[in-house]
Amino acid sequence: MKMKPIHLRKLAAITEVKGKALFGKNFIIMPLFSLGFTFLMKVVYGAATEDALDMSAYALALGVLMNIMMEGVYCTAAALAEEKEKNTLRTLMTSSVNGLEFSLGSLIPVVLMSTIVNVLCAFIAGFNMELSQWTSFLAITVACSATSAIIGMIFGIYAKTQVSAGTITTPALLILMMIPMFGGFSETLENISSLLFTGIIFNAIANIDNALPVTDVKGIIVLAVEFLVSAAIFLALYRKNGFER
Amino acid sequence: MNQHYISIRHLSKKFNKDFVLKDVNADLAKGEILGFLGPSGAGKTTTIKILTGQLRPTSGDAEVLGIPCDRIDETIYEQIGIVTDVSGVYERMSVYDNLKYFARLLNVPLKEIDPLLKRIRLYEHRKKPASKLSKGQIQRLILARAILHNPKVLFLDEPTSGLDPTTALEVHKMLMELKDEGMSIFLTTHNMEEATKLCDHVALLNEGVIVEYGSPEEICLKYNTVKKYRVQLTDGSKHLLKQSTQTAEKIASWMGSGQIETLHSCEPTLENVFLEVTGRELQ
Repeated sequence: MKMKPIHLRKLAAITEVKGKALFGKNFIIMPLFSLGFTFLMKVVYGAATEDALDMSAYALALGVLMNIMMEGVYCTAAALAEEKEKNTLRTLMTSSVNGLEFSLGSLIPVVLMSTIVNVLCAFIAGFNMELSQWTSFLAITVACSATSAIIGMIFGIYAKTQVSAGTITTPALLILMMIPMFGGFSETLENISSLLFTGIIFNAIANIDNALPVTDVKGIIVLAVEFLVSAAIFLALYRKNGFER
Repeated sequence: MNQHYISIRHLSKKFNKDFVLKDVNADLAKGEILGFLGPSGAGKTTTIKILTGQLRPTSGDAEVLGIPCDRIDETIYEQIGIVTDVSGVYERMSVYDNLKYFARLLNVPLKEIDPLLKRIRLYEHRKKPASKLSKGQIQRLILARAILHNPKVLFLDEPTSGLDPTTALEVHKMLMELKDEGMSIFLTTHNMEEATKLCDHVALLNEGVIVEYGSPEEICLKYNTVKKYRVQLTDGSKHLLKQSTQTAEKIASWMGSGQIETLHSCEPTLENVFLEVTGRELQ
């Protein structure tokens, strides 16, 4: 696939419009929900055990997972499906916006907001980190947010309407969230979890809590492959949506 | 340098086994309006999609601004504007912000937005969300967005479909102004009055085939085989007369005695021509 040039003025314009859309009433509920969910988990697990420090890591992992899925996948899918439904995506395509510019412009605000919410989740969960651990935490959450946003865009460009985007993303969200959550109960699930970006971030928070390296080489490879494959699929679908449809 | 902004040669498009365009030929020069006229399903929108790089032709060639349509990429959209029946607006954004977004994408100075808004008579609605606009206002906003970057070629797919007569007239007036400014316009319509009024050349399209091509006047005169005149006299009586020596004498006599209220020649309209050539109505 031939690499298209990226024009910064187009990227800035798309990022600004997409960023404003994230603060709309349709989408702002998702980060708020993740923050509330983290707080609830902190309270519930804090009350259930005296070892509140360990459970803060689990509460944070659940909150981050929820945020990355709801904001990264759901919001991105719904926003893109809305562009299709209202025919603004086709208008953008015929206004000299290429797939790379559109995907980066859509990705940047989601990753930024997702990262801010993840940091807030860490504070709400009462999860203490050293500076180097904060760096690892931010790096891994940014990588996973970016992958989830690209996956969201794949669902969004496949869906015909916002309603169908919600319908098709829900099972994927549940699968991607539940496999890491229940990985501890089954070796098979744990093995599958280690091949998912959601599993890697879930384990990464536990690793940070135990002062271990955030992930290993296999984890980095999995993250890189999932991001690149998702991006390639999205760019192919973006072009397909513009041509011969 | 190609003298035509659009050049179409033997263009065909097949979906599955069905041809929707067959051996289509047409040209559009600078500052001209070319109309593709035909009923729904004639292949008008398919032609626009091929010319704007959204569909690949099955065979034949088409060039837009010298670029073969099968090699069109995003860069051409900085030189052409497109208005289709599926052009969308950002409903939650204001009229001004809709144009501002595309001005930034197309590298147009923001100071050009207000004069354009005044031109399309949406300046007083500039802060209003697009969702609050009427259908006619939305169509004007879509047209404004398509001409924001002063494109060389403007593609319009049924631009006045569903609009009230007043708004349609406003759109017609604006298109004539754009033409006078040197913009080339490729227009599809099933409205023969619109085509007759606006177009320098029209292609009558039926089931993917151009059945007539030329200026509206040329086409109408070509089919004006039985020349007739419609006369209304001052006493209210109406007469339809075939051209002949007797008719000429009769009209001269009425004219001499001041009896003629109205006198019209009866050339066929484009709709009559289309019906005669294809046996089907345009609408």
